[in-house]
Amino acid sequence: MLKLSNVTKRFGALIAVNNLSFEVSQGQVFGIAGPNGAGKSTVYNLITGFYDFEGSIRFDGKEISGMKPHQIAQLGISRTFQIPQTFPSLTVEQSLEVGNRFGNRAKHDARRIERIIDFVELQSERHEFTGTLNLLGKKKLMIGAALATDPKILMLDEPMAGSNAHEIKALMELIQRMNQELGITIIIIEHFMKVLTELTETLLIIETGTEICCGDPEVVTSDPRVIECYLGGDDD
Amino acid sequence: MKLKQMAAIIVIAYGVLAVLPMFVGDIPYIMNILIMCLIWAVVASSWDVIMGFAGIFSFGQVAFFVMGAYCSAILAINFHIPPVFTIIIAGFFTAGMGVLVGLPCLKLAGPYVALVTFGVHMALQPLLKGQIGIALGSGGALGLLAIPPISIFGYTFGTDNIVPTFYLILVISMACALTIMAMVKSYWGLAFLALKDSQPFATSLGISAFKYKLMVFAVTSFLTGIIGGVYGHFYGVLSVRMLDLDLFSILMVMILAGGLGHFPGAIIGSFLVVAASELMAPLGVYRAVTMGAIVVVLVLALPDGVMGVFSKRLNNHAQKA
Repeated sequence: MLKLSNVTKRFGALIAVNNLSFEVSQGQVFGIAGPNGAGKSTVYNLITGFYDFEGSIRFDGKEISGMKPHQIAQLGISRTFQIPQTFPSLTVEQSLEVGNRFGNRAKHDARRIERIIDFVELQSERHEFTGTLNLLGKKKLMIGAALATDPKILMLDEPMAGSNAHEIKALMELIQRMNQELGITIIIIEHFMKVLTELTETLLIIETGTEICCGDPEVVTSDPRVIECYLGGDDD
Repeated sequence: MKLKQMAAIIVIAYGVLAVLPMFVGDIPYIMNILIMCLIWAVVASSWDVIMGFAGIFSFGQVAFFVMGAYCSAILAINFHIPPVFTIIIAGFFTAGMGVLVGLPCLKLAGPYVALVTFGVHMALQPLLKGQIGIALGSGGALGLLAIPPISIFGYTFGTDNIVPTFYLILVISMACALTIMAMVKSYWGLAFLALKDSQPFATSLGISAFKYKLMVFAVTSFLTGIIGGVYGHFYGVLSVRMLDLDLFSILMVMILAGGLGHFPGAIIGSFLVVAASELMAPLGVYRAVTMGAIVVVLVLALPDGVMGVFSKRLNNHAQKA
């Protein structure tokens, strides 16, 4: 469904993503982890058209390199951001309308917006301006707006960051429901290994933009190279 | 604010102005002031859409107004094209100029957009006064002195028959206001606000920043160019002095008084500021100082302007209901 082949991103002399290749299958929950500065969010920015790059990214067999972020959204790849993004001038309902009107469907569908508001459980906040939402509300709003674009792939960038145990549980349930009930392929960047091992079928670990290992989360998290990249190597 | 509420405010505001000629129709001085209200309402509202709704700090609106006025007047004087057509041509010309100015602005952040667009404003005066302007028919430093009035089916709209002219300009101004209303309440308005609030989030949801930012430049320049054309044919004279900072500042005050990003606040702001400015005429040289002081108080007391307060009350009322 989504295939990255030998993708490299340079910022001047710094190589943020180095010859990275991986493939995400339809219906999968695919995790990406790595220490801070590993290049995880950069990978998202490359897939969603925010940065140009060397190499190839194909979505449903179509090359998407060189496409603009809005064109990629209209193809069916949607994303959320590590720092919650909202539209403070718009209400929850209007924010979802943005995704619905401009995304993959590109038409106004009031019933669909209604269903998504119910799905992300923002019924009581629907007429509130999004700047007034709490952190969980903002995260649900980002996910709701992304869902309103009718995505085939939803890319979540550290959705659990700053959340308490109750909020993490609610978000994990929401992610599982999106994958199982709506059939959306999920890619998730996360630091909480427990979340990744519970949610994902395949886990990719990267460090300084390079793949360390990729595979079954249980196997990957016990890999000595992964432990070393998180905890540091033995100097002796 | 809901569409119906917005439409009601526009209709009431223009309605109040529409009945005034019944009482003051025979006083040309006041009729002139009313016509100014109608003209500045369009310029201020267009400026408010680009700055307040789209969040693009464009300082080029007065330049587009002057471009529209000169374009229509030059075509009417030199090519004898009826003003009804030259005004429309002027609208399209300024829309094109708006897109040209907008293109480099797409790559720039807030303060740099302000610099580029203000640069256009500053460059226009020497251009119109200089050899290029004279060659284009601008009249140089003297300006244009014999601009033909608007004439429809043989009926001439000018200062001689000011009441019918007032109603013609009222119709044009209200049509522009309703166009702006339709735009900000449509999905275009949704795109403008989304791009203003968070461009990365908006584009990740499928909004083309390129398309909608250029669109806002084109539409607001078009409307400003149209009303600029009307201005020239109404007064019959044009001067590059319009590009001095007086008009620029007073339009800014109109937007702030009405409420930046609170359309139709700019319309109300235009009416209030023109009226206040005229009422303060006896103050002479102290008028500008007093106006400045009022602006400071207004910005501190009502940061969202008159319409901001009104919108807040409407929202609170709706939430209670």
